[in-house]
Amino acid sequence: MSSPLLDVWEAAASSPYKPSIGKGSQFTLGFLLLFISLILATIFGLNRSFVNLPILGIPASLAFGFGAVYMICAVGVYV
Amino acid sequence: MRSATLFSGCIAALATLVSAELNISQPLLSRQVLPSIFKPPQVFKNVNLVRTTNLDKAYPRETINVIIENVDSAPQSEYYLPFESGLISRVGGLEVKDKKAPEQGVFKVEVVEYDTESPTEFYLIHLPTPLAPGAQQTLSITYSILSALSPVPSSIEQSAKQYLQYTFSAYVPSAYETLKQKTKLKFPNSDVPDYTSLSSSLNADSVADPQKQGSTFTYGPYSSIPAGASEPISVRYEFTKPLTHTSLLERDIEISHWGGNLAIEERYWLSNLGASLKNHFSRVEWQKTSYMSPATSALKALPIPLTPGALNPYFTDDIGNVSTSRFRTGARESHLELKPRYPVFGGWKYSFRIGWDADLSTYLRRLSTGPSYVLRVPFLEGPRMPEGISYSRIHVRIILPEGATNVQYQTAVPIVSSEVGLHNTFMDTIGRTVLSLHAINLVDDWRERELLVSYEYPWTAGFRKPVVFTVGMFAVFVTVWVVGSLDMRIGKAKKA
Repeated sequence: MSSPLLDVWEAAASSPYKPSIGKGSQFTLGFLLLFISLILATIFGLNRSFVNLPILGIPASLAFGFGAVYMICAVGVYV
Repeated sequence: MRSATLFSGCIAALATLVSAELNISQPLLSRQVLPSIFKPPQVFKNVNLVRTTNLDKAYPRETINVIIENVDSAPQSEYYLPFESGLISRVGGLEVKDKKAPEQGVFKVEVVEYDTESPTEFYLIHLPTPLAPGAQQTLSITYSILSALSPVPSSIEQSAKQYLQYTFSAYVPSAYETLKQKTKLKFPNSDVPDYTSLSSSLNADSVADPQKQGSTFTYGPYSSIPAGASEPISVRYEFTKPLTHTSLLERDIEISHWGGNLAIEERYWLSNLGASLKNHFSRVEWQKTSYMSPATSALKALPIPLTPGALNPYFTDDIGNVSTSRFRTGARESHLELKPRYPVFGGWKYSFRIGWDADLSTYLRRLSTGPSYVLRVPFLEGPRMPEGISYSRIHVRIILPEGATNVQYQTAVPIVSSEVGLHNTFMDTIGRTVLSLHAINLVDDWRERELLVSYEYPWTAGFRKPVVFTVGMFAVFVTVWVVGSLDMRIGKAKKA
C-alpha cells in the first residue's frame, strides 16, 4: 500500500525539528528579556521624551514580546 | 387556548431534545444507500471458511479466513459481508487482507445499506485486483464487536465470579453459499457452564457440536450452507475481569514550535459493562480481599504505557488531582499507572483526564523543501490491559501552530469524519489550526497505529505571537508618552 506521508517522514529522517531555544534555557532567556524590558521601561519612565520613545521603547517592546513568549513556555503553557 | 399553545410548544421543545440525544447515539458512519430490492449478486462462493472467535478480552474478536471463488463469467471485485442492522453499528476495526499476500496491505472497505428498515446491512470489500472467473483468493477478515457480551446473572456478589453470555450464529453470516465452514471459540478458561449443543445431523462429520478441547470449542464443519442461513447459539463462560468501555475519548495533541513541545491530553468517559453489585458496596470486604488481589469484576487500575521521553504527567477528575497514580520513566518506555478514585464495579462510571508533555523533536520533522513539517504521533494511546478496553467514539484533535496551512493527514485507523478548524487559546490572535478526526468502535488493539500529519508553517506566521506583543507594548509606550505630554495644568501656562 502506498503511503506518501510515511515516505515523506522517512525522507526527512535527518532533520528532526529543533527549536532555536531549548526547553532548558527558556526560563533564563524569558526572564532576562523581561528584565531588560523592565529596565528600559523604567529609564523611559524617568525621561519621557520623543527621542527616547524609539531609542528605549522599541528595544523594550521587542524584549517584552519575545520574553513573554519564552516565559509562558517556561511556566508550562506551551504556545 | 394560550396554555394549550404553551403546552404544545413545550412538547415540541422536548421532542427536539429527545431527537438530539438520539442523533448523538447514532454512529457517524458514512453510508452508501442501495435500493430496497438490492441483493448481493451471487458471483462468489465460499469454498472453505474458518471463523475464530476470541473471547479472552472484554469484547469478542473475530477472524474469518475464507477462500472465495469467482463463479461468475466476468472478473469480480466486490465482496459483500452481511451483518444484522443492530450489530453493524457495533462492529469496529474491520480489516481485510489477502492471507497469502499480507504485504499487499489492507483492502478498501465501506459500509453499504439498502434500506433503513432492512434487517441486514453490508460491508462492501473492494478487492484490489478483480478476481478472474474460476480463480480463488484467501481473505482474512478481522473485526471486534463492542457491547456484545452480557453478564448472566446480571448482578453478583462483590467477590463472586462473573459469567458472560455471547450469542451468535453457528453459521457464519454470508451473502454467498459456503461449501465448508467451521467456527472455533477460544475462551479465557475452561469454565464454560452453559452452551448450546447442536445435533450431529447438522455436522458434516456427524459429530455432536460443540467439540471441546480445553478452553477451545469447535462448531462444525458444516457443508453447503446457503447464503443468509443462521443457527443461533449461545455460550456462557467465566470472565471475572472488568468490561471496560469508553463511551467517549477526547484526545488533544498540541504542538508548540516556540516551546519545542508536544502536549497530549486525554479525557475519558469510562464505564464498566460487567455485572452490577447485588448488594451495597462493602468497603470492609474490599479492603480484606485487596491484599490477596483476587480476580474481580471491578476496574482497579489502568496501566498506560507512554512513549519514552514523556514528561510532567497529570491525572485529574471532576474533584481535582487524583493522587493514586504512579509514573515511572525508563529508557525504553514510560509507564503511567492510574488508580481510579474508587473501584469501578459493573454499571459504575468514572470520567477523568490525563495529560503529559514530550519533546517535539521525536515527533516532528522539517522537510527540506519549503516551510513544511511532518508530524508522526500514535492515533490512540491509553490503557493496555490483558482484558482490553473498547472505545465507542474517539475524537482526536491535532492542534497545530497558529497560521499552519495546507494540512494533510494519513492514518491506518478508519476515520468517520475529519475537519480543519480554528482553536483559540493563550496568546492567539487568529486562532490555531486544528485538525479534528473522529473514529468509532475501536479497541485497544489499535493503540499502536500511527497518524501522520503534514502542514506548511512559514516563519512569518511563527513570529506572529512576539510581534503582536511587541506592537501592543509599543502602543503602551506611545500612550504613556502622549498622555505624559498633555498639558493638564489648571490655568494658563506661564510664559517666560
